[in-house]
Amino acid sequence: MSKKKLIKKPIFLLGLLFISTVVFLPIYYLIVTTFKTPAEAAANPLGLPTSLNFSNYINALEAMNYLQALKNNLIITVVAVVFLVFFASMAAYVIARSKKKIFRVMYSIFLVGLIIPFQIAIVPLYQIISGLHLMNTHMGVILVSVFCINLPLSIFLLRGFINTVPIELEEAAFMDGCGTFRCFWVIIFPLLKPIISTVVILNTLAIWNDFLTPLLFLQSPEKQVLLQEVYKNVGPFATNWTAFFPMLVMSTLPLVIFYIFMQKRVIEGVVAGSVKG
Amino acid sequence: MYNKQRERVFMLMILPAFIGFMILFIAPTAMSFFYSLTNWSVYNSTLEFVGLENFKLLFQDKKTVAAITNTIKYALLITIFQNVIAILLAVFLNKKTAGMNFVKSLVFLPAVLSILVVGFLFQYIMTSADYGLLNNIIQFFGGEPVNWLGNPKIALYSVLATQVWQWAGWSMVIYIANLKSIDSSLYEAADIDGAGPIRKFFSVTLPLLYPAVSFNILMSLIGGMKVFDVIFAMTKGGPGYATETIMTTMIREGFNSGRNAYASALAVVFFIAVFILSRIVITFLNRWERKIS
Repeated sequence: MSKKKLIKKPIFLLGLLFISTVVFLPIYYLIVTTFKTPAEAAANPLGLPTSLNFSNYINALEAMNYLQALKNNLIITVVAVVFLVFFASMAAYVIARSKKKIFRVMYSIFLVGLIIPFQIAIVPLYQIISGLHLMNTHMGVILVSVFCINLPLSIFLLRGFINTVPIELEEAAFMDGCGTFRCFWVIIFPLLKPIISTVVILNTLAIWNDFLTPLLFLQSPEKQVLLQEVYKNVGPFATNWTAFFPMLVMSTLPLVIFYIFMQKRVIEGVVAGSVKG
Repeated sequence: MYNKQRERVFMLMILPAFIGFMILFIAPTAMSFFYSLTNWSVYNSTLEFVGLENFKLLFQDKKTVAAITNTIKYALLITIFQNVIAILLAVFLNKKTAGMNFVKSLVFLPAVLSILVVGFLFQYIMTSADYGLLNNIIQFFGGEPVNWLGNPKIALYSVLATQVWQWAGWSMVIYIANLKSIDSSLYEAADIDGAGPIRKFFSVTLPLLYPAVSFNILMSLIGGMKVFDVIFAMTKGGPGYATETIMTTMIREGFNSGRNAYASALAVVFFIAVFILSRIVITFLNRWERKIS
């Protein structure tokens, strides 16, 4: 037995090393390349840069309109996630607590969105968003992200959780004269914290990284998000890829930082989202 | 507790979500079905019913048919590869060794990056130009360089590999959570019966992973059907139409070429394909569930 362990351990470590290398090598390459000149990168693609040269980042910042795009990303993501939490939690509460048939029907209509990919709707959606005069506005992208793309899953997760919250609490509050609406916000909503954090994490990842919706609904340069800035710069930097890589880094950096600090939460959130689903 | 007053408040609480969903999801979905039977395009001022004309055109267009087959092929393959690799990773990494949480977090990391960024990064890694990292590595070990994205026979698989790299960690954490819930006494019993590690995997682990397997399979299948960003970044549908997918065709026809009715017909085909494929997979999963229970 002890002999077996001795043999197993190096193989196991080798396996770990292999997995880590396969996963991390492209990311490592992305990062080290941002500090190199094209000649240096071609001569020694995987070596460490000879000096910590930030000129690629400075050039990228100038070409990219970074702060404006970052601000746009933040506005869209934060407002959309707040909307999702607000509207989905109320709807899920009603679905979980009422036995009325009309709410059952509404719930099954929401569930359609879990099965049908929203992409089926995009061509007519374009018409609807222009009809509402929301084309080229952040509100347009926010509404599409919330109601067309991410609402059903959020309602589904929240409903499952509210079902596990005992109803007695509300009944007691109700007897004391607390209205339904207040009762929800004061008593139930604070109890939903674990599932709200899952909903926030899953939606933040999805909305921040969404490229298709801004691509279709935001045309004017000052409204665009980070991924559009990256996309816009592919052509001009086709030959100078060391200048292009910092843009890739900078467009995902905010989420990577978010992940580094919240790893456990993010992974728990993904698991919670799948176990309930 | 269930009085009229309360129901009225309930209605007010659910209506914002419901109305928004009806206007921005149900209505445009229904419109897609409607438009697929018309001649709607930016070049037509009058809307007329043309029956199944768009569908006929669609199936006569080699490029579109290739897009549909590519999408189905891609979705099936990513489902298989992503899940096989994720299960192996989960079994391998589900140990209480020091530093294991770090490795798990690392394997999950690519899922945080945007698909577009991963696509651009790998476009440079897989390029056949001199600076292509992958070919440099292959040549370093004495192999022949491969034209990963320029060869129509392998371009789709190259794109697929990047997405397996990106999403295997996401599926893995779901499998690990499921593994944790498996009672260890089952493994002890298998040990007593003299089962080896492979036997244990197929007789104990895999059947008990059923909940995670069925969830992950459906997610990767539907996710694979929607593939768009990575194609957009890496190949733009080329070379030729080797990596053209339903979504890239739909965006091109619906937005760039203004053939809205044609794009709507493709959306309907997309819906039918997702529906049929997921039905088939669910049937298989159910059969498997009955066999193991």
